[in-house]
Amino acid sequence: MSGSIVTIVFEGKRLGCRSGISVAAALWENGVRVLSHSPKYGRPRGVLCARGHCTNCLMRIDGVPNVRACQTTVRDGMTVERQDSGAFYGDIAQKALNLGGGLMPVGFYYKWFTKPAALARTFTQVIRPVTGVGRLPDEAAIAEDKRILSAPGEAEPRDAGSWDCIVIGAGAAGMAEALAASGRVLLVDDTPVLGGQRRPALDVVAGQGLLDRMPLLADARGKLVELADRVAAAGNIETALSTRVVGAFQPDMFLLADSEGLSIARAAEVRWAGGALDVLGLFVNNDLPGLLGPRGLYRLLTADELNVAGTRAVVTGGGFDLWLAAALLHARGASVTAAPGAPADDAGGAMLESAARLGWRLHTGMEISEARERGGSVSTLILSSRNGDGARAEVACDMAVIAGRGKPAYDIAYQLGAELVLDPARGGYVPRGEDGDRFAIDLPAGSPLIVAGEAAGALPRICLAQDEEVNA
Amino acid sequence: MSGKKILCRCEDVTVEEFRKAYRDGFTELESLKRFTGVATGFCQGKGCLCEAAMELAKLKGVEPGELPPTNIRPPAEPLTFGELASLEVTPLIRDLEDDRPGGRPAVTAAADPDPIGNGGGE
Repeated sequence: MSGSIVTIVFEGKRLGCRSGISVAAALWENGVRVLSHSPKYGRPRGVLCARGHCTNCLMRIDGVPNVRACQTTVRDGMTVERQDSGAFYGDIAQKALNLGGGLMPVGFYYKWFTKPAALARTFTQVIRPVTGVGRLPDEAAIAEDKRILSAPGEAEPRDAGSWDCIVIGAGAAGMAEALAASGRVLLVDDTPVLGGQRRPALDVVAGQGLLDRMPLLADARGKLVELADRVAAAGNIETALSTRVVGAFQPDMFLLADSEGLSIARAAEVRWAGGALDVLGLFVNNDLPGLLGPRGLYRLLTADELNVAGTRAVVTGGGFDLWLAAALLHARGASVTAAPGAPADDAGGAMLESAARLGWRLHTGMEISEARERGGSVSTLILSSRNGDGARAEVACDMAVIAGRGKPAYDIAYQLGAELVLDPARGGYVPRGEDGDRFAIDLPAGSPLIVAGEAAGALPRICLAQDEEVNA
Repeated sequence: MSGKKILCRCEDVTVEEFRKAYRDGFTELESLKRFTGVATGFCQGKGCLCEAAMELAKLKGVEPGELPPTNIRPPAEPLTFGELASLEVTPLIRDLEDDRPGGRPAVTAAADPDPIGNGGGE
């Protein structure tokens, strides 16, 4: 991060931002937590996944609607606007329109305003902009698209090469798979460093000297560093970082996307270690700005170096990510409350001791039952006891992180032909195969698909004790 | 702001609305997806497909393993037309025309009702 300041124009106001950070982070640091309003109920929404997956941060940037603010870097003079009905009609009109949300229940468009056909189009034209899908792009943006589309052969098409094996995901499981594969291996990850989403967070915690008394986190970082060193030293592994695999076509073709555009890679063998996605859970007001999952938090606090000094942060849920999220927040100067749901196991016990020493407030055996807002962002968490004794706690906060078991990522495995089965014990939809940290499944075409790590429905490999690990 | 439990953020579907749609006769994941909009938004179900399926398993009183997912097609993340236009498509078309061992017969992309070969669905 260069440390220089750029100015963006947010809805007519000039805001100073650190250069190199995302629009979403820049708005957060300027006190703007509400990036959009939801389409039907006009509920405030803020940055959530921070990985370009979700709908929350779609904004109109430089005249182009539906741009992901979490994936867009600030630039001097950039114009940023909300694109929902508030921006379209003004906040008061939006509030009035939201009252109409109850008159338009789920599925209403199949029942009402459909006949006569001539009027149906008019109804659509009236209702559609209200829902916040945005206006069409500005003329300048359209002209740029036309230029690209009219000259598709202008740039040399990119070829991502042919490989003996492609490994998707460079967390602990993916790096182990890349090392185990033979021949020329392409290792792809959407984060900018080897080690997956947790590595940058662990590096920040280590940089603050916090790992000495946190063996849980120190062990995890040690494993990631060792694997990354071995991958870097391996002559047969090439890495493609900040690159997403956005499609798989049977039997051997993969569509890759990075900041330069799309390219196609071919690989005879594929190993899927795409990790997991954050799960926030179904509690009252589970969509408020300021509620994050651990993966979103890691990205915001490391790649964007989001300034959270003095922020009151609550971390709830459980597992490895609860402690890593809390330690990361502490390392970046937030005031931390940890609320682990389950009684601590051995590893968590050591973390509880660290927590007490570092001055974190603690609520154990509680789970989140409701979030409350002030000014469109989370202000209070209501925690209730998990053992049914009716105990309750209200915690004031500016940010809340819900950690816990992630949902295995499944899209690429499915596109390759894997059958998915819903298994709550493994976090969600997982490819049908053996239980465990790693398994192979037969595909309709090509070689067997190896599924590993959290994508296989296992716990993160970096937090497994040595004897639980499966040697790849 | 009134308290709601949001099941699907993209399409603004509450848990209660999903349950009501089930009571109204939309008792399969595919029909619930079409009627409520769950898993049809910008995130294409990354935020809600598992949650919706787990809720449906409870409503139906079946094992979660009995509920297959809805179809999940490329691209896994939104792409712009500009990005797509930059792609060299010749190898894609050649592939579709190939008669590969174990592959599907030659079809054009537009005519293939199931371009990724996962069967069923829309």
